[in-house]
Amino acid sequence: MLKIDQVVANAGDKEILKGLNLTVKPGEVHAIMGPNGAGKSTLGNLLAGMPHVELTSGSVEYMGKNLLELEPEERAAEGVFLAFQYPVEIPGVNNMYFLRTALNSQRKYRGEEPMDSAQFLRMVKQKIKDLNMRDDLLKRPVNVGFSGGEKKRNEVFQMGVLEPKLAILDETDSGLDIDALKIVADGVNQLRSPDRSFIIITHYQRLLDHIQPDYVHVLADGKIVKSGDKGLALELEEQGYGWLNE
Amino acid sequence: MAGSMSEAMTWLGPAESGQSLPAGAPQWLRDKQQAAIQQLSSMSVPHRKMEIWRYADVNRLQAQMTAENAPELPTPNAVDHTVIVVSQQGIQWHSDQPDWLTVEPISQMAAADWQDVQPQAHPSEQGMVVLNQAGLHGGVFLVVAAEQTNPAHVVELIYVHEGEHWLNLRNQFKLASNCQVTIKETHVGDRINLVSHWAVGPGAQVKREVTSRLQPEAMLVQFDHMELADGADVRAMHQRSNGALQHHQRQVQFAGVGAKYVSGSINKSILNNNICDIVNVIHNQKNNRSEVTHRSIAKDQSQIFNNARALVAVGADQSEIEQDLKNILLSADAKIFSKPELEVYADEVVAAHGSTIGALDEQSLFYLQSRGIELTQAREIMIESFEQEAQVC
Repeated sequence: MLKIDQVVANAGDKEILKGLNLTVKPGEVHAIMGPNGAGKSTLGNLLAGMPHVELTSGSVEYMGKNLLELEPEERAAEGVFLAFQYPVEIPGVNNMYFLRTALNSQRKYRGEEPMDSAQFLRMVKQKIKDLNMRDDLLKRPVNVGFSGGEKKRNEVFQMGVLEPKLAILDETDSGLDIDALKIVADGVNQLRSPDRSFIIITHYQRLLDHIQPDYVHVLADGKIVKSGDKGLALELEEQGYGWLNE
Repeated sequence: MAGSMSEAMTWLGPAESGQSLPAGAPQWLRDKQQAAIQQLSSMSVPHRKMEIWRYADVNRLQAQMTAENAPELPTPNAVDHTVIVVSQQGIQWHSDQPDWLTVEPISQMAAADWQDVQPQAHPSEQGMVVLNQAGLHGGVFLVVAAEQTNPAHVVELIYVHEGEHWLNLRNQFKLASNCQVTIKETHVGDRINLVSHWAVGPGAQVKREVTSRLQPEAMLVQFDHMELADGADVRAMHQRSNGALQHHQRQVQFAGVGAKYVSGSINKSILNNNICDIVNVIHNQKNNRSEVTHRSIAKDQSQIFNNARALVAVGADQSEIEQDLKNILLSADAKIFSKPELEVYADEVVAAHGSTIGALDEQSLFYLQSRGIELTQAREIMIESFEQEAQVC
């Protein structure tokens, strides 16, 4: 599904990713851990198409296409979803309108018929119920006045509605209390499927107590320096990152 | 050196000096007109060194124009919608007249009801206000009685003028104590100079919605004076776009205590439009509140001037003031001047003001794009979101 090959990328003027390799197959869950400033968020932003994050060399192939040639909205319509570390507030635009616009834009790109209001309402009501979230989320302006936990839950809800093929969660667990963490993790687990892959960027092993990863990678100084199974995350939790340099 | 404002009488068309009022206008009004004509001779036409005109292309005031086709008039859409068209020909009802509403041509009102309008900021620069009286053509005296307590009822005034010369309209609004009403004003004219006086009675709750989406060559110069009595509550929403020149001044004065004035403006300029939006709130009584929110968006080579000023007089304690001016530039050649001002002479006052000018937030645009929304539509959503912040009613 995704092949990142020897990627070197800048965020602004600074080189952050320095020869990163990663392959993700359909249905796999990859956790990416690493110290602050290692390039974890830059990786997510590069894949989603954030301005000012630019590829210097290397390539990213997604479902047989050169991902980095696509506009951010085209990547989304192709099935790439980034759950933001700091979701943006959009006053005056309610979640329902926002999500329906997003969904129908993606459907238009894919040559599908738009979803009408009634169909959409039925679908989102079911999704919000399945994800164990409150339906007042739908009427509120996007992320405005949301607590940190609500914003992260809203990201997971958006993911549920848009049904991406590759979901990148950028520190979705940061700032969450235990209950919120569980709701978010349950949401992700519900969305797991054989043709949907996840890249979960996190600092802490605790999220991985709830979401079982297939692989854990350590990203340090712009490249993956170690990969393993869930045991690696437990090791990192106990020993930190210092031992990787020894 | 700028010329005398007397010359501006020619902007009103041939043979307008002292002849603009309809036949049958009372002598007291003609006397006021003559006094204004006298006053004009000692005033200068607007020029760029005047504070209220420095961010507008004043030459446009006297530019030649061809009459543009006015857009179609809205039709009343419900029983709670009263429509009155105001033009040089007088007033025309487009719906039934409710019992609680009196509207008559300004030239037929009683002398005792007339209220002079005195701009307090930069009075020597207010030649257009004096010109309005010197070349007065028409307008309305509108009275809402106390028994009107349905805030959903909309009284809509539509100002219409098709022609190459300026039309001077003068309105007077008298809103009785404890009434509740929505007054909507829509400008569809070519070149209108409008002065209005509002007396809002004790406890009255008024929504005011003003829309001026003008044709490319059209111009609108507007001065409002509003007085709020004890406990009055006014929410005013202004939506403006396009036109060669729009110059709006609002002067709000608290005549009692416990009153509230909430104002929102959305100013959108494109091509080469000039829009000025000046609000002057005078807190000269205790315990009143004003909130002024402007959201402006300028594109192409257009320009916008925002000025929210609040003066808190000695002794006007417990005044509360908020000024929030935010602006977005959508092109490199567009200009926005934004100026919040507080002048406070009282001790116990809560006041906050702020102003920002910038481009659309890239992070927010990316957020929308990352959900599949094309950049053009993402920009539209961001602009809509930005405008919503100023929607006060």
